[in-house]
Amino acid sequence: MNRAALLGLYHADRVLAWENGYSITYGRFLSDVEALADLLPEKPTVINLTDDRYRFLVGFAAALVRGQTTLLPPSRAPGALAQVAREYSNSYCLVDGTEHVEPLPSYQIPKSTGGQNDTGKVPQIPIDHPAIVAFTSGSTGNPQPHFKTWGSLVAVARSTGARLGLMSSDQMTVVATVPHQHMYGLETSIMLPIQHGMAFHVGRPLFPEDVRLALTDVPSPRMLITTPLHIRACVTTRLRLPPVECILSATAPLPRSLAKEAETLFQTRVYEVYGFTEAGSLATRRTVDENTWHVLDGITLHQESAGCSLHAPYLREPVLFPDLVSLQGPHRFMLHGRGTDLVNIGGHRSSLNDLSQKLNEIEGVQDGVFFLPDEKGTAVTRLIAFVVAPDKASEHILSALRTVIDPVFLPRPLHLVPHLPRNETGKLTREALLGLLQNLHNEERHGT
Amino acid sequence: MGASWLDPHRRNRSVSDVSPLEAEVAKLIVRTLTLKVDPAQIQPEEPLFGDGLGLDSIDALELSLAISQSYGHQIRSDDPDIVATFASLRSLCRSIEKHRTK
Repeated sequence: MNRAALLGLYHADRVLAWENGYSITYGRFLSDVEALADLLPEKPTVINLTDDRYRFLVGFAAALVRGQTTLLPPSRAPGALAQVAREYSNSYCLVDGTEHVEPLPSYQIPKSTGGQNDTGKVPQIPIDHPAIVAFTSGSTGNPQPHFKTWGSLVAVARSTGARLGLMSSDQMTVVATVPHQHMYGLETSIMLPIQHGMAFHVGRPLFPEDVRLALTDVPSPRMLITTPLHIRACVTTRLRLPPVECILSATAPLPRSLAKEAETLFQTRVYEVYGFTEAGSLATRRTVDENTWHVLDGITLHQESAGCSLHAPYLREPVLFPDLVSLQGPHRFMLHGRGTDLVNIGGHRSSLNDLSQKLNEIEGVQDGVFFLPDEKGTAVTRLIAFVVAPDKASEHILSALRTVIDPVFLPRPLHLVPHLPRNETGKLTREALLGLLQNLHNEERHGT
Repeated sequence: MGASWLDPHRRNRSVSDVSPLEAEVAKLIVRTLTLKVDPAQIQPEEPLFGDGLGLDSIDALELSLAISQSYGHQIRSDDPDIVATFASLRSLCRSIEKHRTK
């Protein structure tokens, strides 16, 4: 059976992780993985909820060694976790806090064993082993599972590293503001480092000042893995960062003007990564001087009647783009916008259909719809919901929603209305919803 | 479960003892996060995050930006008082008062 190494290169003394100025070496990592792998229960799937990036990686690697699959729930909302727990009832959870998903058993990832693996025996993982399952919200309301083989994760990490010109001799350290339980975060802050002998900071900075402290905590050269939201925050506060070799941005389009400001202010290169769950990261661009996206090596693009598809040796079948793109030859494309049903807020992806369906399942809701108003400026645009629920207060509906959807998708605001402007075929057009919104605004202005 | 101050149904409540800074920051919060609530109705002791339509980490980031621009106070998560800072309008204003540079 074909196998690929857990680590792209191995030196026992090389640093893998930084925590409050202390380093954890690759040697200690292998010994931690070995120790944890012996303790894991005999189950096929695991939900790894650890917040600490190093402990997440130890859990992920130990699961790989044991031939287990790590599930990446679509969100931390209790309802979403419960749904994954129901579908994969023979799972267990790995945690580093007090989190618990009923009725699954939870195991704490212990603090590092402090041992040193001197054998230098790097685990070899079968390339067709399903390493993770990521979920997308399907239009049916049930999350759709997407199995990612170990081979595909390794291939994407290697081609991303090649594109960025990562040299193993020049060890970069990653600081990431994105969660490692999402595809983008897993690929860039976990897989990229371990396949290129890089190091990472164990934390997940949120505020600009956190980002500065985390970067200051690790040695140069540094790479910041983040989102347009965080880049804007860092630029706006005129943050004085230590030297950063490059910044990766994903989850939403990065305005070119903002990329330019960040490059000048932080004396760095800013790259955007484009991907989606079904295919993983697939293209990059240097935002300041490229309009088109350049696919990673090994990927080719094809125009089909249903849309654009991409082919890669590690994808079992071609995958259609969920977004509107036009091809510029087999290796480049232009992105024209998100598919109309998909929403992406602060890196969390969902579909309006799915959210609306969850809304309509709430007791007392007779009719309801989620709606994304036109984007204004660079601020994050939030969703709006129109709900027909004569006997319920909006507070009741919101607290019910909170248990089934990620908080970033909670409507802001939720409008209670007598009825929805459905047309004769029962459809709700965007124009009708915009009109309804306009009417509500006018009423407010007139104080009625 | 206490209701959040973001709930538009909680109107017509008399608000007393709100300091000028609290009134100013309440306006800043509503403007920054485009909330559908009258700033004067924000109860200074009620939670900002949490139940109902509580704020989330994106809001925290947006809010931290607005605060640093208006008051020069850089909020950070490893501050031992971070949870207390965001607990309510009043505690947020206490923190701004303590750290403001403009």
